Amino acid sequence: MSDLTTADEIAMYVGGGLVVLGVVVIGLLDMLLGAGHPVDSEGAIEHAAVVPIDIRAGIILLGLVVWGLVAVYKFATGSAPSGATAGRAASGMDD
Amino acid sequence: MSTQSIRTKFLGTETSFSVSGAWLSYWILLLRLTAGWWMLHAGLDKIWAWPFDASWFVGGAAQGTILAPFVTPFSDGILLSFVNVAVPLGQTAIGLGIILGVLTRTAAFFGAFLMLFFYFINGYGGGWAHGMVTGELLGIMVFGTIVALGAGGILAVDNRLREMGPFENTRLRKLLG
Repeated sequence: MSDLTTADEIAMYVGGGLVVLGVVVIGLLDMLLGAGHPVDSEGAIEHAAVVPIDIRAGIILLGLVVWGLVAVYKFATGSAPSGATAGRAASGMDD
Repeated sequence: MSTQSIRTKFLGTETSFSVSGAWLSYWILLLRLTAGWWMLHAGLDKIWAWPFDASWFVGGAAQGTILAPFVTPFSDGILLSFVNVAVPLGQTAIGLGIILGVLTRTAAFFGAFLMLFFYFINGYGGGWAHGMVTGELLGIMVFGTIVALGAGGILAVDNRLREMGPFENTRLRKLLG
């Protein structure tokens, strides 16, 4: 069963999608397609950025902002708490 | 000790997994105590060493970053004075809220909000030399975890607040953990 609202889905898929795109997918592309893999003074391998770092950071920022806006929206609309959220004793309290 | 079965539909597929109720509660509490102390320590440090001046951060480090348009207006005058007070007090309140479980979800939301500025401004300042996944981004994820799980149900003042009149209002209940 699923009790996701449209706002929940936007947060999960759009917000989370952008964060995963910025952090993981572009990171993988940089590693696979980035030219040159020099080792820096700390021993880390540097990958030339395939996607400009500003754009990558912007994608992550957008994802985080979507999460934040949905959180504010969910508070503003006052819909009933769902899932493992407020109003219920947290799991394990009665164990 | 009981095990909770999570069954839901996610990304179009039925998903189920089990979690130990006691371990989940224990881990959420530990997460709250460590993340809360992180913020409380940062806030109290600044209050102990008062006066705090954030101009190096909002006026200097933020220059040229993706957040500059939102941050640099706060780099002088009354807006800087506001930041100089809001950051130490905010960090202290966030830390106390998360540790004690007072308005837990609200405190964690603002923890993530504050961490967003640290993440991007410190990241740009360091040329992202340590990659895109830094302690600050993980901090955002930790605070997000506390928000998503409503982690104020465990040894928390929120359990008492929930029984009080104003928080019977559905909207205000969402501020609690």
